[in-house]
Amino acid sequence: MPMDRRQFLRVAATGAVVHLTSTACRSHADAASDAAALAQPELLALVGPEQVREIGRRYRRAVPAEHDAEALRAAILAASRASRLGEAPRVPVAELVRSDFAEGRTVVVHGWVLSVTEARQCALFSLLHA
Amino acid sequence: MHTDARTLESGTVLEGDLCIVGAGAAGISMALEWVNSKRTVLLLEGGGFELEPAMQDLYRGEIVGQPYYPLHAARLHYFGGTTGHWAGFCSQFDPIDFEKRPWVPHSGWPMRREELDPFYARAQRLLELGPNEYEADEWQRRDPGLVPLPLGRRAVWTKMWQFSPPTRFGTKYRDAIVGARNVHLYTYANVCEVEANEAVTAVQGLRVRPLGGKEFRVRARHYVLACCSIQNARLLLASNRRATAGLGNAHDLVGRYFMEHIEMPGGELALAQPDSAKMKMYAFEFGQTKARGELALSAQVQREHGILNGTASLEPGTPGEEAKSTFQFLTPQVLEAMRAWEKGGRVGPPPIPSPEGPRADSSAVGPSRFFHLATRQEQAPNPDSRVTLSAEKDALGMPRVKLDWRLTTLDKRSMRTFYELLGRELGRTGMGRVQIREWLLDDDRTWPPFLSGGWHHMGTTRMHADPRQGVVDADCRVHGLGNLYVAGAAVFPTGGAANPTLTLVALTLRLSDHLKAKLA
Repeated sequence: MPMDRRQFLRVAATGAVVHLTSTACRSHADAASDAAALAQPELLALVGPEQVREIGRRYRRAVPAEHDAEALRAAILAASRASRLGEAPRVPVAELVRSDFAEGRTVVVHGWVLSVTEARQCALFSLLHA
Repeated sequence: MHTDARTLESGTVLEGDLCIVGAGAAGISMALEWVNSKRTVLLLEGGGFELEPAMQDLYRGEIVGQPYYPLHAARLHYFGGTTGHWAGFCSQFDPIDFEKRPWVPHSGWPMRREELDPFYARAQRLLELGPNEYEADEWQRRDPGLVPLPLGRRAVWTKMWQFSPPTRFGTKYRDAIVGARNVHLYTYANVCEVEANEAVTAVQGLRVRPLGGKEFRVRARHYVLACCSIQNARLLLASNRRATAGLGNAHDLVGRYFMEHIEMPGGELALAQPDSAKMKMYAFEFGQTKARGELALSAQVQREHGILNGTASLEPGTPGEEAKSTFQFLTPQVLEAMRAWEKGGRVGPPPIPSPEGPRADSSAVGPSRFFHLATRQEQAPNPDSRVTLSAEKDALGMPRVKLDWRLTTLDKRSMRTFYELLGRELGRTGMGRVQIREWLLDDDRTWPPFLSGGWHHMGTTRMHADPRQGVVDADCRVHGLGNLYVAGAAVFPTGGAANPTLTLVALTLRLSDHLKAKLA
């Protein structure tokens, strides 16, 4: 069953705070590069930038702890490292998205049934391509 | 043989071995089974061979629950019944539909799906369907262009449908019925009372009236009510001379558990890699398509999540465009006008542009990556969803009906969960994303103004082995009455995800075999 939305918001908020602190030492250049790459959800090809932007805005409103780019980037990367998909420190985001769906880490934003990771990607997109 | 009952003298008594009340899909299916048998069959049809306002008027009723379609427009009161405007959608009920499901109150049939299989095969022919085959893989083998979406069957599968031409029973089978020497069709023969014996253990006759003041009687060894869920209940409730609550109603069950299929646009699908050729499996063109698939959740997933059975059809659309529900096709303004028309004393013709649903006009799937997802879901059996008698009477002196259609939180939660799980599966396989429509999110109690059924009336004389839980037994015999039976969707304890016609015809054939054994 997809995560209850209220439950999801709690989990997401907690995770974001943890990873904000743990990634504080990363360089600003790395972070910017990561964010740009991460802000390209597969969904973009399916529904276009307007829908993705709207999803992103709604996600950020619903999860205030992930309201800025750094928090979103950190949350996605943290999920990637925490993934049980392999030994590599980071798994490709596309795989993470599939894994989210398979394991029920989904959230409904603007009616769309999304993986938590891609919802964050949409939020990042809405910030970087406002 | 055919007789216009208006030509009979008042006081006439007609006699036969078997009397079938109603000449729609169920009544005609049963009568055909007896053509050229040694038994005399009386087939009573309230209307004539053509639609007539005066006959439709006898079906008028009050709507007191959820908004619903005008009853006299939802059912056709003439030879052939509502097959005169059905769209021909047929599929079989799933095995889980027959099970007692702890999460679905009042679920469970007193028979297994396997018992119906041979009758499904026979029903295929009557409805002019293709091979008795409902596996997507088998249809793909027959037509390699029919490719089911490669979703893991554990969660989502492709449920197959077949399409009747659609068979209009009134025209297709008229000659066979009228030409049969042992089947006597009486048109304009409206049954006004089922007369029980003094002990209320058997039916001893029917009181029948054509419009115009005459009255005659029918006597038979066995009687079958086959005049649709609402009218069957109405007739039993109104037959209260010897049983004040009505016949078969010792446990206050007649008219209860009225069910529909909830037919609503519930979401949108955006495919990751649109390929119109591969979507042929899900396309439908009225009068052309022989078979197609709809997406359904597996029995296992229904169990895990405690939800009802349902399917979603895929209809090509464009982003931002909102699909309409079956009833919404007639626009909210028309529905409102209809309610106002009902409330205002039903003056003038009803404002209905067309009784056909939107799917009848759907075009073939194009190259679009966007599809509207339209749900057809069973309704949880609900004793408070019911048909009762109104204080108002029709031109024959029969009480009209009141329909109180009610839904439960399980109905809405099931539909939302369906879309969430479908969205997960399409995301997991990388095939696309699902958007759930706004009305399905949040609370489970409220329904939008475009709430819609599919004109599928089921329940009201549900089947159960225990007379305290059902009106008819597993043989479709009314509990407590030795020679009265009900044919049609009225006996369904649950409605399944499929349209009712194929299953109601199959059940009717089963009842026919039972009666042949009784009369042997």
